[in-house]
Amino acid sequence: MSFALGLIAVVVFALLAPAMQFIARVKAWSLAPVILLAVSAVVSHLLGVLLGAMIPPQFRYWDFASIFGFGVMSYVFAFGAVYKSVSLEILLGLVDRPDRKVPVSDVVERQVPGLFRGRTKILVEGGLVEQNGSRFAPTAAGQITAGRIGRLRRAFGIGATGLYDFPD
Amino acid sequence: MNLLPGPAQTIAICLSVALPLLLLGYARIAVIHGAGRRFRLGCLSVIVLFVIACIAVPGPRHLDDLVSGVLLLMTAMMLCYVLFGLLTWGFTLTLLTALVQAGRPLTSEQWAAAYMQGGDLGTFAHNRLKLLTGSGMVTMADDKLAATAKGLAVAHLVKLVRFSTGLG
Repeated sequence: MSFALGLIAVVVFALLAPAMQFIARVKAWSLAPVILLAVSAVVSHLLGVLLGAMIPPQFRYWDFASIFGFGVMSYVFAFGAVYKSVSLEILLGLVDRPDRKVPVSDVVERQVPGLFRGRTKILVEGGLVEQNGSRFAPTAAGQITAGRIGRLRRAFGIGATGLYDFPD
Repeated sequence: MNLLPGPAQTIAICLSVALPLLLLGYARIAVIHGAGRRFRLGCLSVIVLFVIACIAVPGPRHLDDLVSGVLLLMTAMMLCYVLFGLLTWGFTLTLLTALVQAGRPLTSEQWAAAYMQGGDLGTFAHNRLKLLTGSGMVTMADDKLAATAKGLAVAHLVKLVRFSTGLG
């Protein structure tokens, strides 16, 4: 019964999360898609627990939580993989071409700089970076965030390039 | 409502907490190069520890407890991967840290150079392209990129995931 309730809660999440993304887009909410995912997860989790509380002796919270957590994280994993992935943006740009071919120079000189500009816009709109004329500078909030990221990267021994490390 | 986890669930919860700590520990070991390799090693370690602990802990085994434990552990690995991946390969985050590290306002071109630590966006583009060519989604010939059948299938899957998660 607890596993079944977990599955029901996952289905509720899988319906609620895209509905909220859609509504946010239509109503032009300023909430980040990740926040909407978190809200959907909390609502569907509480709904599942509430349903579970109605069947006191049989409901085992951790059985419920395991299937709910796995389902929601699988969704978030897939969402994260397709949401603003540079590699997949390049692939989609390529596939959308009529002959599904593109010169390397087009990706290097047009598509990637376009993605770069898109990300700088996100940072500016998020209040982490400010633009003065043609120059960009971090805001106080941007410096605090960057400081936190830097500390976490140092602790986990992560370099600051953001590049994939391929075995040569 | 039963809030107490079973034995395998307890092991999985403990190992889920231990995974980021293991990653912190592996970051101190110089012979383990690359964030991706350290993450895979961390996951392998918690899987092996989970199997050993499930065998070693006395008492009867229940299938639902074991399945639930596996799901909890997989949930933790996916959550860690999403956060670790963001820290390691996050384009937008690395743009912000590069701007802060520069210590002065930068033009768009200077920012791109700071991001690539002296290189340019071409290096970044080729790094992301290497992921696509290395995974067989794209081929490169005569300075042209072409989508393979696998790339086409992945692109369709990405569009499906984007649509079903409300990303449009």
